[in-house]
Amino acid sequence: MTTPLLVQAGPDAEQTGAVGAVVASLPVSFAPAGGGPDVVALAGTAGWTASATAAVRSGVRGVVVVDPVAEDPAALAAAAAEAGSAVVLDQAWAGNPVLAESQAAVRNAISDALADAVLLDSVAWGAPGTDPETLLTRHLGAVLACGVELEGLRVIQRNANGYTVIGSLPGGAPAALQGITTSSLPATATVSVLTSSGRADITLPDSSAGWTAEVRSVTSAGAATFPSIYESAHRHSWRRLRAAIDSGAPEADLERFAALTALVGQLHDSPQ
Amino acid sequence: MGILGAGPVTQAIHLPSLARLRGILEVRHIMDVDPAVAESVAARVGARFSTSMEELLADPAVEIVAICSPHQFHAVQVIAACRAGKKAVLCEKPFAMNGEEAAAIAAVSAETGVPIVVGAMHTFDPGWLAAEAAWGTLPEQVHTVRSSIVLPPNPRFEDFATEIVGRTPPAPAPDKDTAPDTAAVKAMLTGGVMGLAIHDLPLVRRFAPDFRAVEVLHAKTVMPFGYVISLRAGDVAIELRAAMNGTWEPSWTFEAIGNDASLSIDFTPSYVHAGSATARIRTAASTTVLGPFGHNGYEGEWRKLAEIARGTGTAPRPETLINDLEFALAIADAAAACVDAGAAAYEEASA
Repeated sequence: MTTPLLVQAGPDAEQTGAVGAVVASLPVSFAPAGGGPDVVALAGTAGWTASATAAVRSGVRGVVVVDPVAEDPAALAAAAAEAGSAVVLDQAWAGNPVLAESQAAVRNAISDALADAVLLDSVAWGAPGTDPETLLTRHLGAVLACGVELEGLRVIQRNANGYTVIGSLPGGAPAALQGITTSSLPATATVSVLTSSGRADITLPDSSAGWTAEVRSVTSAGAATFPSIYESAHRHSWRRLRAAIDSGAPEADLERFAALTALVGQLHDSPQ
Repeated sequence: MGILGAGPVTQAIHLPSLARLRGILEVRHIMDVDPAVAESVAARVGARFSTSMEELLADPAVEIVAICSPHQFHAVQVIAACRAGKKAVLCEKPFAMNGEEAAAIAAVSAETGVPIVVGAMHTFDPGWLAAEAAWGTLPEQVHTVRSSIVLPPNPRFEDFATEIVGRTPPAPAPDKDTAPDTAAVKAMLTGGVMGLAIHDLPLVRRFAPDFRAVEVLHAKTVMPFGYVISLRAGDVAIELRAAMNGTWEPSWTFEAIGNDASLSIDFTPSYVHAGSATARIRTAASTTVLGPFGHNGYEGEWRKLAEIARGTGTAPRPETLINDLEFALAIADAAAACVDAGAAAYEEASA
């Protein structure tokens, strides 16, 4: 029988990651910690890599970081490897289970579209007051998690209402990423890949509930909608943490996040 | 009615629309420079045919003139129709290709009193009109506008609507492995704005009060035909996307987004007579769905034209039409200038 891992979450992580509700939905895998925790949840606010490194060095078996801001995770990755701790990043859209490695059909459909892309158009929706850089980090994380490679990115406009970032795909097709703030729509990200004869659309929902992502592929043969997965990115992250701890095989979250952080850093350096 | 130009738009869009309005409008005369096309298309509706504008304008049976000829003839033909003393003129968009032509049209319209309607069909779409009646103070808070158009090549849809005669063979597709030169890119962007984006630019302008302060930030072409254009008009961010690829599934959306409310409209494609757009006005607490209704904006513009000719409807103000045109021309020019700026930067970097 599986022994639940004991979970401790700070108030910020609890609020942004709905940790209590998620842990309650995985009662065989996790339980709230009364004393010393096996795993901890941290909010991904500035300084999260240092907090997570400290947690790893304190001996916890795993760490979940909720909605991390762009930050170099190299030191954390080294500390986690040395301690044998698992670190999972609970990213709002990139962590959606529909984009998991196990979803081969979805990944193949997106990959096929990208190979024949004529345009990538992506929009991230955030609540008014959302820091544009935070929204952009979530947004780029979602696009990269779809397997998109972006080249020559630059910010062409940015203000309190959002941003526009343009670049290209490896084949030269234009790519445009737009962030928009409004309270009239949920915090959703869409990634649309138009091809010479169709398209692929990925809609990634707000992770505060089990809303399903939608992935739809249009080819000359017709349209396909992929099976819905009623699991939030939060819950999927915790399941991944449990699997990583049980198997001893580390997740690649930090490695991928290093690439995302580098991309965000390049955008800071580019003229606007 | 008399129609100048009997190409695919007249055959597949206007005549099927008019066929549903027989008690309101009747086609009496069709003109096309190709006599075989003019004769064939006129025969479908029992109208006279000719190959000259003058002959159609001199026909006393023609009270309303519709100008569906290539863009470069629009201004001359609008002016001639006004001077011929017709009751009303419908001109396909764009109704002129530069500011001087637009000013000349406004002057002759004022002088003759002949009302002019520009065939910006989405502004006559019942879905758009229902949204306009319902959106309240939305325009005051909109900070972002998006227009996204994905369409197959026109012949796919033309053939659902009619049997085309005189179709021009399509231009050869550009070689996707060869980058188009600067002139070709500029031509595609200008053509994209004046031929495709222009369908939605009057809608965009509704949410961009500082439309004269256009600043194009980025413009790129999409293969085989399309564009990605980012611009600002005052404080409003405007994103224009279009791709005419080989898809069977069209998508034509317009969005205007404010802090607390947003509008999203899904338009039906041209040609196919698939009813009106469906509009959604959203707040955090509600979504109001408007439409779809049984007819599209093309039929809407004909209904409007008939009302104007009968004296029961009000014509759009010439100033509105001119402002719409100036907005489109400013974006087209600035998008082309972006290409020049990009080429200059490349040459500088390569030197």
